[in-house]
Amino acid sequence: MANILIVDDSSTMRKIISRSLRQAGLTVDEIFEAGDGIEGLGVIASGKSIQLILSDINMPNMDGLEFVKAVRANGNSTPIVMITTEGGEEIIAEAMSSGASDSIKKPFTPDQLQEKLGGLL
Amino acid sequence: MSLNADIAESTKFTEERLAGYIIGATQEVFTTMIMMDPKDEFPMREPVSRFKCSITGMVGFAGTYSGVISIHCPVSLAMKITSNMLGMECDEVNDDLNDAIGEIANMLGGSVKQVLSKGGLDVKLSIPTVISGEDYTVNSLSDSDCVVIPFIAEGQKFLVGLTLKKDD
Repeated sequence: MANILIVDDSSTMRKIISRSLRQAGLTVDEIFEAGDGIEGLGVIASGKSIQLILSDINMPNMDGLEFVKAVRANGNSTPIVMITTEGGEEIIAEAMSSGASDSIKKPFTPDQLQEKLGGLL
Repeated sequence: MSLNADIAESTKFTEERLAGYIIGATQEVFTTMIMMDPKDEFPMREPVSRFKCSITGMVGFAGTYSGVISIHCPVSLAMKITSNMLGMECDEVNDDLNDAIGEIANMLGGSVKQVLSKGGLDVKLSIPTVISGEDYTVNSLSDSDCVVIPFIAEGQKFLVGLTLKKDD
């Protein structure tokens, strides 16, 4: 069973992702939520055991690209999958070169989550 | 309400193409995330700026292209949309409803950006803005350069509009 951190400024999207993870039959234990990159770093710094991070890109205060860079700068190698409306090749390439593991475009189906995340959990 | 000929020429997007993108993006978001299958109608000929008992979600974009994509829908339909998105009953205007409509605008903005942007870095999306009320108006400084598509879902009409301009 895996603990997952969802970083997204939309509470609706955090709930949809949580529900979709369970609908997809993924082995999820505890789900932690954060409303932006700064909150996400706070959850990680609190010492919680996290096996997978799902992060939006377009967020206030600290966006997903800055968040990924900050996580990796701290030496944390937890897989980070970007779940975002941003489907452009350049922005996804920037996320990947910053340390993201993969990306999923919104809108998505539970099957698409299962396909992308099944191998990481 | 139609796309100004000069704007269409500068952006290289015809009104028909933009309408097609809006219809495709809206149907994708609604069928995938909301479990509704909205039917599109002909683009509106006249601008709509006044809304009653409605909610409006908007996302701006700036860069090579600038503009706003917006969704306007009756509060009663927004409650059904929110209920479907969250999998729980929503029967009042609250943070969940505002957030859900804002997130729909955000996903529509992402789809439009994918069409407008070469790789994703030359057009930036804003954080969503949501307005709701019993009687309000939404005015754009470039109202004449909009494409607005009406949709029907659950027997109610909602609008998705795109204002577009190519920056020099």
